[in-house]
Amino acid sequence: MKLLIRIRAAVINGLRELQANKVRSLLSMSGIILGVASLVAMVTVVQGMVGNFRQFVDAMGGIEKITVDKQSLPKEQEHLAGLSEGLTMRDVEQIKATIPIVRYVSPEARVGYEKLVWEGREVNTVINGVTPDWLPVAKRWVDPSQGRFISDLDILHKTDVCVLGSAIVAELFPPNVDPLGKVIRVKGKRFVVIGLLNNIEAQGMEIRSASGKGRGSGGMWRWRNSGVYIPISTAAAKFNGNDRLSGLGLQVASGDDLNHAVEQVERTLLQTHNGLKDFTLTTNEQTLEDFRKTEVAFKLSLGGVAGISLFVGGIGIMNVMLASINERIREIGVRKAVGARGSDLFLQFLSEAAVISVLGGLIGLAVSMGIVAIMNYVLMQAVPTGVVAKFDWIIMLQGLSFSVVVGLIAGVYPAIRAANLDPIEALRHE
Amino acid sequence: MGSLATIRGLHKTYVMGDETVHALDGVDLDFDRGEYIAILGPSGSGKSTLMHILGFMDTPTKGSILFEGEEVSDLSADRRAWYRSNRVGFVFQSFNLLPRLSVLENVALPLLYREDYTEAAREEAAKIALERVGMSHRLTHRPTQLSGGERQRVAIARAIVARPAIVFADEPTGNLDVKNVDRILDLLGSLLAEGITVVLVTHDLSVAAKAKRVISMRAGKVQEDRRQ
Repeated sequence: MKLLIRIRAAVINGLRELQANKVRSLLSMSGIILGVASLVAMVTVVQGMVGNFRQFVDAMGGIEKITVDKQSLPKEQEHLAGLSEGLTMRDVEQIKATIPIVRYVSPEARVGYEKLVWEGREVNTVINGVTPDWLPVAKRWVDPSQGRFISDLDILHKTDVCVLGSAIVAELFPPNVDPLGKVIRVKGKRFVVIGLLNNIEAQGMEIRSASGKGRGSGGMWRWRNSGVYIPISTAAAKFNGNDRLSGLGLQVASGDDLNHAVEQVERTLLQTHNGLKDFTLTTNEQTLEDFRKTEVAFKLSLGGVAGISLFVGGIGIMNVMLASINERIREIGVRKAVGARGSDLFLQFLSEAAVISVLGGLIGLAVSMGIVAIMNYVLMQAVPTGVVAKFDWIIMLQGLSFSVVVGLIAGVYPAIRAANLDPIEALRHE
Repeated sequence: MGSLATIRGLHKTYVMGDETVHALDGVDLDFDRGEYIAILGPSGSGKSTLMHILGFMDTPTKGSILFEGEEVSDLSADRRAWYRSNRVGFVFQSFNLLPRLSVLENVALPLLYREDYTEAAREEAAKIALERVGMSHRLTHRPTQLSGGERQRVAIARAIVARPAIVFADEPTGNLDVKNVDRILDLLGSLLAEGITVVLVTHDLSVAAKAKRVISMRAGKVQEDRRQ
């Protein structure tokens, strides 16, 4: 309790000292201000990038997803191309039958970029043939009030139905028209709209998956809202003429099984493809891992810059404190003569350093807010899908406490010097 | 009156380069409570060293000091700070008031380092001390706004605010004009009535003449101890 009272008195005194030497105090703070501002701004922006990317990966199907794509054979194997049919529905059945840790298998047969027509209105977009497994693998849904998705029966009977993304709905139908049950034409063939996909929106850093009557274009997620989906069997029968697939999306029951599943899928596919590796497997984990490395590199380099500026800030405080003590040697002598202990003066000068660093840190936080706001603005102008960072109290608190620690460390040496001054010598000082 | 301090065989030596300086070379003295003492001597006589040791700013190389019945010749720095804070006051030639603090804050400064005073109690004690020296009308002034005589009165208030047993005044009139010299010396003399021992440290005979007892020092020794 007594110590608390002493600290309080020392802090009040430190504030008065600061007030008496405004310009000098501000100059000594400048290092800390820049250090904290750059530290907090950089960490915030990097964090924003990471957060954005995490959500991006999740929207891409999360880390449980394995994507199988076609790949052309290496030159020396080109003459063997006839041995493999490429990705087909047989691969789907084989994977389903032999690899239980793969929970969903979603084959996709790309029909192409086609023109959709409804009562004279038209829109061009990508049409894909899919199965019911597409929904869980893509992590999408059809709200019950918005119809239904493609079913196993649609696959079996090759029905002429389609499910639309919200961006297509917005472009093809007037707002007062309910698209469900309407018949649209693709390459002269008629398709009944049976369902509307949930709308994916990106607002700042947050990605909201909204169902409802959302007909927005969805900003950076527009490409995900503009798809049109038909039964894969219909795509094969009416457009493609074969059951070749453009790709496969797999979902593993748990992220822990991912590597295991990748191995097994690769082995199975090599078997059905007669040993030819005309496919590639990619997981989001690899992307995530790459990004983690970038993140670490970013944090290290930016942290280094911020660390150096905080270090310089600390030296600045120490310098000013030493100069201030030099100027006030007589004052120290007087205080000692009237009964101040070494520890009283230590506390007094350490508090002054702490007050400088706390104020500097607070100003630095305000500056960092400005920096982040400007960066957000510039990034949004340059790329609409740019990084948008949000302020995090924890980062700010960390930046502030970092500055306080620097200030205290920088204040220790000057404070010890003040505490150890001989009162007689100090009083003689001119 | 009662004994305040008993000093026996006091030595203080400094080593300066190859030379050993005997600032105090065997000093024996007795101070009573409420005495008005002048320590007289030229510079280098050891009078300042004696003041610093008796004022708990320094420690002797050898010898004993009984202060209020306790041996105090070998105290730790914190313990000496306690004595400076509780039992001793200083008045300096150049006043040594802190320019950034108001008159009231300057006088209250010694109590800042005492845990038995609240902020209100500090202010109260400082006001009483300032009244005692006739400076209650200048509480919020800065030292730079005062004349030399006024500053020294504020300094005396600071020296007595903690109710010390002894006040050392080191050439207290050295920076004052003639008119103020007597007023300051009379003010210091009036402290005796409160049982405070006042020690004038000076090289000025006319100042020393005000005291009831004059201790003349030369080359680290007491040359003469005379009551007048």
